[in-house]
Amino acid sequence: MSAATATSFSNSLNSTPNWRLSPTPNWQPPRRSFLVPQAAGKGGKKPKNRKPISPLSTETESTPATQQQQQVSLSLEDVNPVGLGRKSRQIFDEVWRKFSGLGQISRTTRADDQDTLDALLIREGPMCEFAIPGAQNTTVLVVGATSRIGRLVVRKLMLRGYTVKALVRKADQEVLDMLPRSVEIVIGDVGEPSTLKAAVEGCNKIIYCATARSTITGDLFRVDHQGVCNVTKAFQDYNNKLAQLRAGKSSKSKLLLAKFRSADSLTGWEVRQGTYFQDVVAFKYDAGMDAKFEYTETGEAVFSGYVFTRGGYVELTKKISLPLGYTLDRYEGLVLSVGGNGRSYVLILEAGPSADTAQSIMYFARINTKVGFCRVRVPFSSLRPVKPDDPPLDPFLVHTLTIRFEPRRQVCLFQVLASTCSFVWKKINVLSFKLTLEYIKALPTGQETDFVLVSCTGLGVEPSRREQVLKAKRAGEDSLRRSGLGYTIVRPGPLKEEPGGQRALIFDQGNRISQGISCADVADICVKALHDSTARNKSFDVCYEYVAEQGKELYELVAHLPDKANNYLTPALSVLEKNT
Amino acid sequence: MALRFPTQLVTRGAVHHNHDHAKTTTTTAATGSSLSWRRTLIPDPLVSSTALPRKCHVQWTVKCSASGTSQAMNLAPGTPVRPTSILVVGATGTLGRQIVRRALDEGYDVRCLVRPRPAPADFLRDWGATVVNADLSKLETIPATLVGIHTVIDCATGRPEEPIKTVDWEGKVALIQCAKAMGIQKYIFYSIHNCDKHPEVPLMEIKYCTEKFLQDSGLNHIIIRLCGFMQGLIGQYAVPILEEKSVWGTDAPTRIAYMDTQDIARLTFIGLRNENINGKLLTFAGPRAWTTQEVITLCERLAGQDANVTTVPVYILRLTRQLTRFFEWTNDVADRLAFSEVLTSDTVFSVPMAETYNLLGVDSKDIVTLEMYLQDYFTNILKKLKDLKAQSKQTDIYF
Repeated sequence: MSAATATSFSNSLNSTPNWRLSPTPNWQPPRRSFLVPQAAGKGGKKPKNRKPISPLSTETESTPATQQQQQVSLSLEDVNPVGLGRKSRQIFDEVWRKFSGLGQISRTTRADDQDTLDALLIREGPMCEFAIPGAQNTTVLVVGATSRIGRLVVRKLMLRGYTVKALVRKADQEVLDMLPRSVEIVIGDVGEPSTLKAAVEGCNKIIYCATARSTITGDLFRVDHQGVCNVTKAFQDYNNKLAQLRAGKSSKSKLLLAKFRSADSLTGWEVRQGTYFQDVVAFKYDAGMDAKFEYTETGEAVFSGYVFTRGGYVELTKKISLPLGYTLDRYEGLVLSVGGNGRSYVLILEAGPSADTAQSIMYFARINTKVGFCRVRVPFSSLRPVKPDDPPLDPFLVHTLTIRFEPRRQVCLFQVLASTCSFVWKKINVLSFKLTLEYIKALPTGQETDFVLVSCTGLGVEPSRREQVLKAKRAGEDSLRRSGLGYTIVRPGPLKEEPGGQRALIFDQGNRISQGISCADVADICVKALHDSTARNKSFDVCYEYVAEQGKELYELVAHLPDKANNYLTPALSVLEKNT
Repeated sequence: MALRFPTQLVTRGAVHHNHDHAKTTTTTAATGSSLSWRRTLIPDPLVSSTALPRKCHVQWTVKCSASGTSQAMNLAPGTPVRPTSILVVGATGTLGRQIVRRALDEGYDVRCLVRPRPAPADFLRDWGATVVNADLSKLETIPATLVGIHTVIDCATGRPEEPIKTVDWEGKVALIQCAKAMGIQKYIFYSIHNCDKHPEVPLMEIKYCTEKFLQDSGLNHIIIRLCGFMQGLIGQYAVPILEEKSVWGTDAPTRIAYMDTQDIARLTFIGLRNENINGKLLTFAGPRAWTTQEVITLCERLAGQDANVTTVPVYILRLTRQLTRFFEWTNDVADRLAFSEVLTSDTVFSVPMAETYNLLGVDSKDIVTLEMYLQDYFTNILKKLKDLKAQSKQTDIYF
C-alpha cells in the first residue's frame, strides 16, 4: 500500500479502483472502463439515473474498511476539485456520447478510435481485401512509372502494401503529382547503366513497363532492347553483390559444376563414342569417328571431332561431384557457357542411385548453340526420359552429365544440299564439330518471378514500323530470358484507357490474339505475377476475350474473368509452356 | 463529410408520417428564398430549381455555362474528358475510402474532394488519388473541383455534430446544380434505405429530397440506397467487447441487413459501367438482417468473452428526444436523437437482393456475410493480441 498504490490510485478514477464495491457478483476489474455500474444493462433503469456517477459519489459508497486504504493512497491531485470536475466531465461526455449514439443514424468515431481502426481496416490490415501477405517485405522497382501501365502498376502496388520505387527520367512537378507521395522516386535512365545502380538497390522485384516514346530505331534500341538489358544487368549485379556478401552461400548464387580454366580442369572428363544401330549396313559403311577434348594454347577447352558412321555419336561425360552439403534438387536447371559453332547437341543426365549405375535412368534435352559464345539454359523440366515410361527427372539423383554430338538430324538437312553441290566437302562440314566449353553451372531455383516485362504483340503499332518495334521488343525479351532472372513477359494487345476487371481475358502463347486490353488489367496481371509461382519464366500474350459474331466462331479459348474472389492468373498460366 | 453509416436503421413498414414533428419553416440563409426541404413543400422548390436556378445561383450557373452548358464534352479545344476520371465526394469516410480504393484499383483516375483540415488525408494520396480541397458548405469552392470530371460519386454526409442542412442539403444542391451546369456525365448518389418513409428524421428526409432533386435535375444518375455498414460494428461492438468496456445497445427489435463497404464499392462500379442502370434507384442490403442483440451475441461468441452490455430501452431514447425538443438550445440534440423514432418500430428490415444481383451480374456467394466479416476480424485481432502478449512476456524477463 505504499508508493505503488498511490500512483495507481491517482489514475484510479479512470481505471476502476479495486476497492470499489461491485454491484455484480462476478465482478472482474476491467482494465480501462469508466465508472458505470456493471449491472446497468440488466436493470433496465432510466439511464439518466446512472449516468453521471461522479467519483465523489463512489467514494461515499465505499465501506469504512476501504476508506482506510483510500486515505493511505489519497494524493493531493485526487482531491483537487478542478481535476475531479474535469474527470467527471469526461466521464459524463463519454456516457452521453454513447447514449446519444444510439439515437443517431450516422455516427462519428472519435479521432483516436479512428486511428486504430484505420490501421486495421484500411492500411496494412488483414481486413483489407487488397492486402497480400508477401507485400509487406517486398520492394518493387517500377521502371517507366509514368507510362500508361506504370502509373496503374504503382497505384496497385501501393494499395497492396508494397514498398515502391519508381524510376523516372525527370522529377518535375508533373511527374511528382502523378505518383503517390510515399513512392520513392529514383531519377535515372534505362539507357544509362551507371544511373541504374541506385535504382535497383534494395529491390526484390522489378516491373518494367517503359516503352520508347517514338518508333525511331535509336529510341527503340535504347529503351526496349538495351534498356531491358541494362536493368537486368544492374539487378543481377546487385543480386550477385548480395550473394558475394554471403560468400556464395546465398540462395541466389549459382552452383559451379565445372569451369574449364586450366588443363587440370579437364581431368575426369571422358570422351566416348557409340552408335545407335548395330546392323550390318552400319558396320559395312563405317567411315569412322573420332573426338578429342583438349586444352588449347589459347586457353580454351575444346571438344572437337567428327562422326562419319551412320547412327554414330561421340560424347563427353563426367561424374558430377558436388561440394558437401549441396544437392541439385535446390536448383532448377543448368546453364552452360559454350561456343558451339551453330551445331546442336544433346545434354544427357543420368540419374539413379550412384552406387548402382545399372539402375540409372537417362534423361535428355537438345541444346542449340550459336556461332560464337553463348549461354544456354537447360531447365531440369525440359529434360525428358529416354524411355518414355520412366518417371520424370529427380535432380537430387543426378550423378553423371554428358554432352553428346550426333549428326543425325543435321545430316538430313544437308544431304539435299550435298547431292547438288560437292558431296564430300559438305559432309565433313556437317559431321564435324567443335565445341568450346567455358563453364557449367546449376541455376538456383526460385519460386517467384523477379522481373516482369511488359512487351507487346505488335498489334496496334503502325504497320510500317511494326517490324522494327517487334525486333527491339524481342531482343529485349531475349536478353531478359538469358539473364538468369526469374521472368514473366506479358505481351498485351493494343492498350485501352478504360477501367479493368470488366471483361474476360485470354492468355495465349503464339501470336493468335486479336483484341485489345485495358491498361488496368495489364497492371493487375503484372502485380499478380509477382507472387505467382506459375508465372515464373513464362511469356504469354493477353487480351480481351474475342466475342465472335454469330455463326463465325472458330474456336474457343478459355477465358478468365478477373475478380477479387478468384485468382484468375494461376489457372490461366498453369497450362502455358515455360521457358518459351 | 464522412459517410458514416447507420448501425441501426429503418424498418420497412414503419411509416410515421408525423408531420407535426416537423419544424414549421426552414429557410436557407444562403439563398434567401424559401428553399425548404420539408417534404410537404418539396415539389415547389425542386421544380423551380431545375428549371430556373435560384437567385443566388443564377449568376453562377451562367458562369459555368460559359464554359459549356450544352452537355458537350469538348470544353476546351482538344481535351475531351476521359471516362476514367471520377470525383469522389466524402472520400475520407467509411464508404468513401473504399470507393476510392476500388476505383484506383480498377484503373480510374480519382480526384477526392476533401475539406481543408489541419491533418490532411494522407492515405488517399498514398494510394495515388489526387486530393483537392473544397467544402460543400462553401459554395464557391465547388465548381473548380469538377473541371475535367466525367463521373461524380457522392458519398458525403455531414457529421452528426454539425448543422445538418449546410452540407447535406445546401451543399448537395449546389453540387448537383454545378454538375449539371458543367456537363458531368454521371452522378452517383448514396441515400438511406426507406428514407421516404421517415420524414421525421432530418437526415433521411434530406436524403429523400436530394434524391428527388437529382431525379428532376436531368443528370444521368444512379441512386443507391444503403442499409448499414459492417465496418461500423467494429467500433461499436467488437472493439469494446475485446477491451472489456461496456457496450451500449438498445432493445429495439429493428433488424438491419449490414453490408461490407468493400462489397458496396464493388457493386457500385459494376453498376457505374452498366448503361442499363442509368437513372435507376437501387437498394443494397446485406445477406441477412440482424438486431442489435444478435450482433452482440455473435461478437461475444467470436471473441470468446462476455460483453458488458448496457441496454437502453428505446422508449427512453424517445423520451429524451421529446424532452430536448422543448427547449430551443437542445433542439440540436433532439435532431441528433431523431433516429430513435425509427427504432421504436419493430419490423424486419431487409431487401431481397436477388434481382439486384441479377441486374448487376453478381454472384450472391461473393457477398461477405456478417459472420464471415466478424470472424475475420476476431481471428486477426486475437492473433495480434497473442503476438503482443508473447512479446510482452519476453520483455518481462528483463524487468
